[in-house]
Formats: sequence, structure tokens, C-alpha cells
Amino acid sequence: MEPIGIFILAMICQVYSCAANVSDSVERMQYASVAGEEYLQEDKLETNLNDKVYFEFDKSTLDAEDKSLLEQYLPEIKKAKIVRLEGHCDERGTREYNLALGERRALEVRDFLVVKGVSGKKIRVVSFGEEKPLKSASNEKAWAENRRVEISLY
Amino acid sequence: MIRFSSLLFFLVSNSIFSILEIEILKGSDNLSKVAFVPFGLESGIEENYGSEISKNIENNMLLFGEFENLAVNEMLSYPSSENDFYYRDWKVLGVDYSLIGKVNSVNALGNLNISYSLFNINRRIKILEGEIVGSEDNIEGISKIISNRIYEEITGLRGIFDTKLAYVINSDAETYQMCISDIDGKNEQILFTSKAPIMSPDWSPDRKKIAYVSFENGLAEIFIQDLQSGERDSIQALGMTNSAPVWSPDGKSLALVVSFSGNPDIFLYSINNKRLIRLTNHYGIDTEPSWSPDSKKIIFTSDRSGSPQLYEINTKSKRKKRLTKDGNYNARGRYFPDGKSIFFVHGNDGNFQIATKKLSSRYIETLTSTSLDESPTISPNGNIIIYATKDGLNGYLGGITLDGKSRFSLPVKNGSVREPAWSPLLN
Repeated sequence: MEPIGIFILAMICQVYSCAANVSDSVERMQYASVAGEEYLQEDKLETNLNDKVYFEFDKSTLDAEDKSLLEQYLPEIKKAKIVRLEGHCDERGTREYNLALGERRALEVRDFLVVKGVSGKKIRVVSFGEEKPLKSASNEKAWAENRRVEISLY
Repeated sequence: MIRFSSLLFFLVSNSIFSILEIEILKGSDNLSKVAFVPFGLESGIEENYGSEISKNIENNMLLFGEFENLAVNEMLSYPSSENDFYYRDWKVLGVDYSLIGKVNSVNALGNLNISYSLFNINRRIKILEGEIVGSEDNIEGISKIISNRIYEEITGLRGIFDTKLAYVINSDAETYQMCISDIDGKNEQILFTSKAPIMSPDWSPDRKKIAYVSFENGLAEIFIQDLQSGERDSIQALGMTNSAPVWSPDGKSLALVVSFSGNPDIFLYSINNKRLIRLTNHYGIDTEPSWSPDSKKIIFTSDRSGSPQLYEINTKSKRKKRLTKDGNYNARGRYFPDGKSIFFVHGNDGNFQIATKKLSSRYIETLTSTSLDESPTISPNGNIIIYATKDGLNGYLGGITLDGKSRFSLPVKNGSVREPAWSPLLN
């Protein structure tokens, strides 16, 4: 009985560990993201349009006004080689959560641009969370200006 | 790849400027009163190490506002040995504990032999007696060891006077510094200076390394810096944003957040074989992981319910449990050292404050009363929380003892200080 028991146990372990490998989707480290940011060394393209869209607290949805602003921007965005979308938050709430929220906001803009025909490949999404406020005061006006996605063309 | 592991200058600014200095804001009326009697000197010892040591101990013990002292000039006697010690001299002055001591000898190598005794005046007994040998170049270190012993004897908690604090200083829009200092603000070291933001420092359990996030290459990137050599290594993950690194209690892995194609989830990163193992997989934001002291669970913030709330996940079974329900913002949770309670940032009516909750109870207790409080970190003995807050345009650190006896602040002389991280104890 005993050797069979051990064999069964071993089989179970093996099956289990295989399953774990698949469902965990163990990912190898790759060196990709930072190397992709070399365009930052080049000069930004100048544009006359407002390069920021704004958001509500703890929200990442674009309203009609934001969308029409982005639409005006489209011809220039389509001409650019790289479109950098930098998401930002106000200082309220926690820093790491805000980092994720800023990314959410930039992704919302990316998705809109992609729907409008901009190639997703040339869009770079970055979040600075609450780390780079435009205004350092602690009031509604400053917070509203800080909750933004900045669009830079290269 | 060499680009990512460059050796940076390791600036040490010993005693050039001590940036943090603790100011007690509110002490309780019924603090224990301790008399730190200037230590005596055996005849023939020239340097006055005695008063230096007792003064250091006094400064340490008063650091967080947990005790009250008796001024030296109010003392009726200055005993340095038990034979000269009379309880009535201290009882009449309302003293609860008296510390006396003596520097017995200094040898040719500069080693001091120091003896000390601590008395409980109300119970009229000697509660601690010790002897220590240490170098005359390390008076601060000797004083910290004695401070820890008497703190432990009086409070029953581990002494924390040889712990350190990591923090980020933002002196202007273009200058960010990753710093560490002794817990009293002394011996500040600048580990790294950057033009881009730095965030989320966390100590390795052996206190030899710090992990943090730096934006120096234009996006959030996790670095591990060796404190001895100053060498920095980047953890390159595949995602767009890599953030919130926290060391496992055994120091072998980090829990961290990687956002693959824009969806932040919690991963475990094994430092030796550089592998990532996924822990959460949800389209919502999952971030701010932290380990339970027994390393079986990880607490994290998720907005999967529609607002940021705290959850814990068992790292083996991956079973998840929601920990907070009250309010629409509960984030960046950490476990207490005993693993039975958590502390976190609680949003309430537009105010963000530091709160605690027993895991066994529903009730959330708010500890702070300012409105932009964040990044709480706890002393290894579980008795003190330091957090970041803001006054006007400048960020400073606030602190509170969990017994409610004291509140204090650690202002910075210029710019803002944020992201405090309390070091573990050196076993």
C-alpha cells in the first residue's frame, strides 16, 4: 500500500504544480519599459492647443468637453511620431493608489485616441500620481487643476 | 543593462544639518516622571562622560513625549551608587523612576566601563541593574543601549532608540532626496538625489537595503539600494508602471505592483531568481501591498468594489477577504507587529486621516485630526505611528503614540518631507 500511496501523492503534487504554473502565469523579467522612453531626449513638438484634460476626484472618465478638446487635437496627434500621455492626481488620498489612478486617466485618453484612429503603438502612457502637482496649494481650485492628463507630442 | 545598475555617489552629511527634529505638541498630564541623575565618575577620569551619557538617555526617553523628566537643578541629591540612594529624596519630588549610574573606568584603548541602576520610587525597589563596556567614541550608541533597557523595563515594550527612519525630501520642484536618519533625526544620510519624484521607501528586514520608486527615467521604476556601498539596482518588470515595493519578512522577496498594459495587480518578486509571480488578477486597481508579520497574508488596496478598500490575500491559497466596509476611502493598510490590527488612511467627509482597526472588529478608530494625512509607518514595538501630513504648502511628519499620551511633529527646515518608513529593529 505504502509505495502506491507515495506514488499517488507524487502524481498529485505534479499535477498541482503544473496547474499552479499555468494559472499563476509566471512571468520572466524583461528589460523593456525604460528603454522605450528614449524619445524624451528629443524636443517636444510645439502646438497651440490646450494640452491638458481634467478629471473629477477619484474618477478617470472623460466628459464631453474633454472629448471635443481631444478631437480638435487629433490632426496634430496623428502627425506626431510619439504621443506621451502623463496622468496626474491631486494630493488627496494615498500616493500609490494615486499612481494607479493617474495611469487609469492616461489610459482613458489613450483608448479614446485609439478609437479615433490614432495608432496605439505610438502612444506612451505614464503616471506620476500625485507627485508632480501643477499647483501646490490645498484647495478645490488647485486640486481641480492637478487632476489631469498632459499630452506631449514628439 | 549596465545603464540600470550604475554606482551612484553616496553622500554622507553627518551633522552638517539635521533636518528632522521632534517637537512634542501635546503631552498627557499623567506621564511617568523620571529622574536622570548625572552619572558619576570614578576618580581619575578626566572627561565628563557621566553627564553626557545621562543627558543622552534623558533626551532619548523624552523623544516621543512618553515621559516627563525632573530637571537636574531640582534634584536634592546626586547619587551614583546604591549606597547613596534614598527613596525619600525622589518621593518628595513626585518622581516615579530614578536612573543612576557611574563611569567606573576608561582603559588604554578608550573603552569605558559603565554601571547603572533604575529604581521604582513608588514600590521602593531597584528594578534594573546593568553594566556595559563600550568605546568612548560611541557614547551615543552606549546611551541608546541603556535607554532601550530602561524603556523596556518601564513600559514592557521593546526599546526603539537604535531604529532609523527613511523619508523623501522635496526641497523644490526639481529636487527630490531619498534620506535616512537615526530615529532622533541625527546622522542624516542622503542616499540619492534626483530631479524627478521619489516615493515608497521600504527597509529590508536586515536594514542593509532600501527599496523605493524613482521616476528618474521618465516613469515609475523600482530600485533597490545597498546602504553600505550606495549601489542601486533597478527591478525591470514588463509593465508600464512598477510601484509600491515591500520586503517580505524573510527578506527574500518583494511584494510589488506591476501594471501590465494598464492594469495594476499585486505580484511577488523573488530577489534571487528575479521571477514574478502573480498574486491578484482583477481589472480594478490593486496596489499598496504589505505583508502580515507571519508572512502568510498580504494586505492591499483595491477599488474592485467601486471605491478604494482594504483586502487581504493568503499568499498560498490566494483566498481573499475584504477588511474594510465603512466609508468610501480606506487605503494603504499595514499590519501591526502583532498581526491583530491594521492601520491605514481613512477618508471621511473629504478628510484623509490615519485610522486603526482590529481585524476581529468592524469598528474603525481615527487617530489623527488633520485633513491630508497619509503614508503611516509604525515603530517596531507597535507603540508609535509616524505619518506624513501638510501645513500650508509644506509637507511635514506627524507622530502619535498609540496609548494616546503624546502627539509630536517632525518638521523639515526647508521644503517638504514625506513618505516616512520606520526601520525594523536590529535583532
